[in-house]
Amino acid sequence: MAKAAFCLVLALLSFPAFAQRLQGELDCKPTKTDFIYDCKVKLSRNGQPLSGAQVTVGADMPSMPMAHNVKPVKAKAGKAPGEYEAMLDLEMLGEWAVKLRLAGPVKDQLILLYEFDEKGARPVRRGDKPPRK
Amino acid sequence: MIPDLLQNSFDGLAIGSAYALLAVGFTLVFGVLRRVNLSYGPAIMVGCYAATWVSLAFHSNIFFLLGITVLGSVIAGAYVEKLCFAPHRQGSAIAAMVASFALWMQFEEAVTLVMPKHLYDFPPMFEGGPLAVGPLLLRAEALVMLASAIAICAALQFLLGRTRFGLAVRAVIDAPVAAQLAGIDVPRVLLLVFLLASAIGGLAGWLIAATYTQVTPMLGMWSTLKGLLAMMIGGLGSLRGAVVGGVALGLVEAHSQWFLGPQARDLIAYLLLFVLLAWRPRWMTIQSAS
Amino acid sequence: MDDYTVGVLTNIGLISFIALSAYLLIIAGEMSFGQQGFFGVGAYTAGVATAMYGIPLPVAAGLAMGAGAAAAFLVGLPTLRLRGLYFAMATLAAAEMLRILFELLHFQRDIDGEPVGPDGTQGFRGIRWVFENGVEPAGYLALVWGMLAAVIVLFLLVERSRLGATLRMLGEDPELARMLGVHVERFKLGVAAVAGALAALGGALYAHHNTYIEPRNFDIMLGVHSLAYALIGGLGTVFGPLLGVLVDIGVLEGSRVFQGYRMIVFGGLVAILLIFRPRGLLDERVVNWLKRRFA
Repeated sequence: MAKAAFCLVLALLSFPAFAQRLQGELDCKPTKTDFIYDCKVKLSRNGQPLSGAQVTVGADMPSMPMAHNVKPVKAKAGKAPGEYEAMLDLEMLGEWAVKLRLAGPVKDQLILLYEFDEKGARPVRRGDKPPRK
Repeated sequence: MIPDLLQNSFDGLAIGSAYALLAVGFTLVFGVLRRVNLSYGPAIMVGCYAATWVSLAFHSNIFFLLGITVLGSVIAGAYVEKLCFAPHRQGSAIAAMVASFALWMQFEEAVTLVMPKHLYDFPPMFEGGPLAVGPLLLRAEALVMLASAIAICAALQFLLGRTRFGLAVRAVIDAPVAAQLAGIDVPRVLLLVFLLASAIGGLAGWLIAATYTQVTPMLGMWSTLKGLLAMMIGGLGSLRGAVVGGVALGLVEAHSQWFLGPQARDLIAYLLLFVLLAWRPRWMTIQSAS
Repeated sequence: MDDYTVGVLTNIGLISFIALSAYLLIIAGEMSFGQQGFFGVGAYTAGVATAMYGIPLPVAAGLAMGAGAAAAFLVGLPTLRLRGLYFAMATLAAAEMLRILFELLHFQRDIDGEPVGPDGTQGFRGIRWVFENGVEPAGYLALVWGMLAAVIVLFLLVERSRLGATLRMLGEDPELARMLGVHVERFKLGVAAVAGALAALGGALYAHHNTYIEPRNFDIMLGVHSLAYALIGGLGTVFGPLLGVLVDIGVLEGSRVFQGYRMIVFGGLVAILLIFRPRGLLDERVVNWLKRRFA
């Protein structure tokens, strides 16, 4: 009960911080193993790189959610501030919603849509293309 | 305005022919086996992917690929029949349907394992562009689609109306027990009808792949959906209804897409089905496959 | 318990809502391919409520259930007289129409300088109520399973009551029910509305678990899967659909061995299983046997 109150107070205190949006970018390169990608994540908030967060990287496929359970991996801090590195093991190519979960001092979750193919990952900006065939 | 209407109608008739073939396949299975095969589209997809693989490896002639597509669809169809429909022949229709759903999942995964890219090129039916006839653009593929649909329908009429096999099929539809007692090998007839439906589906798949020159893993669900939609719009259970439904669906889609965009196209197609089902159930009762 | 297990267990709970929604309708005699539409209605309603209007999650979930029930009622009314494949296709068409409407929905508000809200095919991101209110993953898991447990208890109570018997009779022999004085149409609409609300609740919880929803989440695959879980797990008891969900996601997780072949293995197992158990694992016969053994 006390823990809940403490969390609530913490949340209220940090509320102004949540007003600014978290932003992220993904840069993935294919590895020798099929469907495993070497990914660099760049996180920023209010335009400033966000370091020191504990980032867990997961993924889900937009159509048929909750079906491809990619095992989430904890990202390691990368070289530059706000950069993190993780190996992502997807089960197939295509469009994935990459889920970045932040723990530690900053708690948040960011979802990035990327199209994964043999060359790497490209961000998806879906136009109103018919989802035909 | 008029040229647009004419062009859309022509395009609609073409894709409608493919839809009609898909619907005919569904109707054969529903009319004779009284079952819904959710693996219908995925089996066609297996055939198309087999042809794509052959095309990438051997750069074969497009009409040879037609044979591969049909063969692949038929083999996949045989697998589905043996595992999902034969065992439940006298049992639960729902169990057969759920089993066919399970195999749909199998086919999709198998296809993406062997060929993991999201999109593969399929060789075109004809090189060169559409023929310009006045203000209209007529693609040769469209004519082939129309001709195929007409030919298949005529062939089916003949098969079902004037051959011994057709007689056996009609007997199985009308009185399965009597047919069995009269010495007709009912399970074999059902299998052959199923394979026939798969072959027709394979043809439809090839027509679509060669016209749009691409295959994706979505082809399975897409074909199943279009086939079901067309079959139900035209009235469940009759071959004529399947063709009418397919053509109607194609026309509605072509015009909706042109005037209102791709989302409206799908929305209107579903709305059409919903309205037909909700307000006119009487002429959609099951008729014998005629 | 690590984050991953918590996530998987939460997903099992979430999918169970829509599986139970499909199950309820099957018991009442109708097979629906469209419950995913109401799942989506719940997700969008709750998301809009919390992310765009600051409404707390419990109230938002209630709104979502209301919207789901209303939508199900609107779909159920014109389709009352339909049976079998006709009804299934009508519900499929309705769910797809809902999905396309979500693709066309652009409704955003400026919150602290950023547009928030559904943006058509781009989806609806930023449903961050759980983060803004300090809810841990384990806490959310407890919430989802708590609600699911309440639903299961309700189901169990109904199954033992006259209401449950009426429900099953409606499914097996509606003419008999009508002769016994049951107002069949009203009953069916009620069941449809409850099933819609149930699916919508699942959707609302899903939206807040994922923080991002898009129309493609609510496509036919979800609907057919949820129906399959109910049919594979068995229609004899409320635990049937849950078993179906567990079997699928359990196989999914437990089979790192079958990396990449999971669906092939699972699909084959299901097809073979159905040959021997066409009414699912926990079908009426098994359930009656269990009841007699342990009653």
